[in-house]
Amino acid sequence: MKQSFFQKHIKPLIQHKVFTLVLLYIAMVIIFTVWAALRGTSFLKITIFRNILNSLVISSFLTIGAGCLLIAGHMDLSQAAIGAFGSMVLATAIKAWGFPWYLAIIAALALCAVFGAVNAFFVTKLKFPSFIGTLAMASMVKGLMYLFSSMGNDGVAANINFTNKTTAFLGTGSVAGIPLSVIIMVVFFIVYGLLMSKSAFGMKVTLMGGSPVAATLAGINATAITFILFINSAVLGGVAGVFNAAKLSQGALTALTTNQFTGITAAILGGISFGGGAGGMGGAFVGLLILNTFQVGMGIVGVNPFWVNVFSGLLLLIALAFDFLSQQRQKRALAH
Amino acid sequence: MAKTLEFKGIGKSYPGVRALDDINFKAEGGKVLALLGENGAGKSTLLKILSGDQQASEGEIYLDGQATAFHSPHDAQNAGISVIYQERQLMPSLSVMENLFAGALPRKGFLVDKKALFDETAKIIREFGLDIRPDEIVGRLSIANQQMVEIMKAYRRDSDIIAYDEPTAPLSEKEIELMFRVIEKQKAAGKAIIYVSHRMNEIFRITDEIVVLKDGKQVTTLQTKETAEGELIKAMVGRDIGDTYANLRRNTPREEVVLEVKNLCTPKVKNVSFKIHKGEIVGLAGLVGAGRTEVARAIFAADPISSGEILMEGKPVHFHTPREAIDAGIALCPEDRKEQGLVMYRSISDNVAMPVVSYMKKGLGFVDKSVATDLAEKAVTTYAIKTPSVFKIVAELSGGNQQKVILGRWTSEKVTTKLLILDEPTKGIDVGTKAEIYQKVCDLASQGIAVLFISSELTEVINLADTIYVMRGGSITGSMKREDATEENVLTYAMADFVDGGKEGTA
Repeated sequence: MKQSFFQKHIKPLIQHKVFTLVLLYIAMVIIFTVWAALRGTSFLKITIFRNILNSLVISSFLTIGAGCLLIAGHMDLSQAAIGAFGSMVLATAIKAWGFPWYLAIIAALALCAVFGAVNAFFVTKLKFPSFIGTLAMASMVKGLMYLFSSMGNDGVAANINFTNKTTAFLGTGSVAGIPLSVIIMVVFFIVYGLLMSKSAFGMKVTLMGGSPVAATLAGINATAITFILFINSAVLGGVAGVFNAAKLSQGALTALTTNQFTGITAAILGGISFGGGAGGMGGAFVGLLILNTFQVGMGIVGVNPFWVNVFSGLLLLIALAFDFLSQQRQKRALAH
Repeated sequence: MAKTLEFKGIGKSYPGVRALDDINFKAEGGKVLALLGENGAGKSTLLKILSGDQQASEGEIYLDGQATAFHSPHDAQNAGISVIYQERQLMPSLSVMENLFAGALPRKGFLVDKKALFDETAKIIREFGLDIRPDEIVGRLSIANQQMVEIMKAYRRDSDIIAYDEPTAPLSEKEIELMFRVIEKQKAAGKAIIYVSHRMNEIFRITDEIVVLKDGKQVTTLQTKETAEGELIKAMVGRDIGDTYANLRRNTPREEVVLEVKNLCTPKVKNVSFKIHKGEIVGLAGLVGAGRTEVARAIFAADPISSGEILMEGKPVHFHTPREAIDAGIALCPEDRKEQGLVMYRSISDNVAMPVVSYMKKGLGFVDKSVATDLAEKAVTTYAIKTPSVFKIVAELSGGNQQKVILGRWTSEKVTTKLLILDEPTKGIDVGTKAEIYQKVCDLASQGIAVLFISSELTEVINLADTIYVMRGGSITGSMKREDATEENVLTYAMADFVDGGKEGTA
């Protein structure tokens, strides 16, 4: 049987989750444009979208890491804490230890990788549910970070300022008018997108997310994959920390605290199912875009910022409800 | 107070599917009525209508001659109907007694009367002849005992109409025997029993009347006593499949040893030793919990080994992960297809390709999904898997077709399976598909694959396997060639302990 062009190419596109999300996004942009015009300001401007993209960067690395883990059926609540520690290590390495910028970054990310491996150990060997293990990890990492920042000081050094031309360029520089950090973010999304949807590794992750036991018995090494994904998530937390420090030329104890929620929410909003085994990076990116545009848009039309948080929470609830309903529908369709 | 339940012209339509069409039967007190049919014949839908879980699209249900309608499971329960489903509906973290009396806990004032609860439960357990404690946590019981708890739950409710949906699937001979005694007791007490099963010997053993369903239609209603097995299978399958085992095209095992296990020990396996030759089908018989699955998992490196040696083609091997076992040519089809065998919400193609994902690379390290499609399409052809496309989600396939997907996975051209371990491969699969699977297993053996065939269905093991090992309590207690195997001698090895124990238990 030959499929028509419509059936082969158009229909799957329309049925794809990301398509719905893009429609939602366009609707949102239209609403904000009209709303802003009514309020006498404007929303549909290049600078505003540039700002939105700029504000995505730091959360995006958390989203990618969290997204990959969610596809495999796990969660990481320690990314932000690990990333903040990474930013402190970067700042200290440049300022106090006199490391060149690249060694400082390597040192920061290496430490994050170790924490990620410990997370994976909790989950695979000690069989902790991932959100409990990483929650405990977040607390431990925070404690260690405070100990680290008080080393050699009388008290805790909340912020460590440093100066380095290269990291400053990394955080704030532009290439051909586009912020370098945005370019790097897009590259990360493309690389991880291809990895998760087109590579053997990505296929294994998705299958493992669907059923870890069945995947293991069919020769997929779930333990190794879990290790890789937790280390990846922590290192990406570190990358977020590095960019945060590079933007501000400062390592901060409180870095990334607001990004953790955004990171995971965007992944779920993007259609990555909580139960694992579904979703991809395209959806995660659009999810992130929706979340940030929503926040920026609300600011422009002049909604009280406290309400914006309430609405962001509602957005997550709606995303979860959709996820839940589509799972229920799938099950019900199979019931007879 | 013998009750009768009558279905008159019952039909059920789902969007696009006609699940049931004009079903008529009468279940009477003091009788056992069998519902028989292949998977997808409509038995489950019929039970769902009976339990009030779903409503019929047309037709009437009469209880003692009065038209009734069940709008919810609650309605049906109040009308005295209990359905024991295949999927156990127990609360695993609660005790046996709490599960039995949930919703009807004996009270002392505001509090639960724990003593009465314990004693009442103990009484039922004694009546069943089981060896479990009322305060044991259900989740820690064996699957077979959990099933017995499910049956006790219905027994406790003392319903007038009791439906059993393939109750023996997780049970071994010992529990089946205990359960039959309970059913006979219920029958003598004037209850109407509806019994759904694939297993011929059970149908002939305990039922009085048989309703045969096919494709949602009622093919015929037969009196068990006047019916021969061949006639029944013919009615069910719609064609004469003849004597399943006699018609198998078989193969003679060859000389070369593929797998040798020497003194294998794990926490649940004691000193197990055996050999499987090229092209040989070795059956592993025994009761549920005898350690057969554990032997399979140990060989496959799914569980660690305490001591002992495994030799593949004469060379000692030490696998750390199933992956290493697979690379050495071992394949496992686990007992629990849905949880352990398949990724249910993925396509046939993904499930077939699972072990070879790493070998489907094309340029730049991308995975070549057309390889998966090819493998899956070949599996669909080889095993006659009923599906419109290889992209269909496996959860939407019937049990038999799901099993074929797993067989297809391990016999694709990309894997070199030398030893195929099948753990209860025909569990919950209808007679027609079973026969197909038997032939496929024989074909695979003819190609030189060594097969380890684990089954709780005695007829199946003793007729299919070239050599049969019987396990009990983690050890091999006996072995025999097919020519010498009878149900009696396998059972003797399998349950000598339990036969003695059973006598003490009933005293």
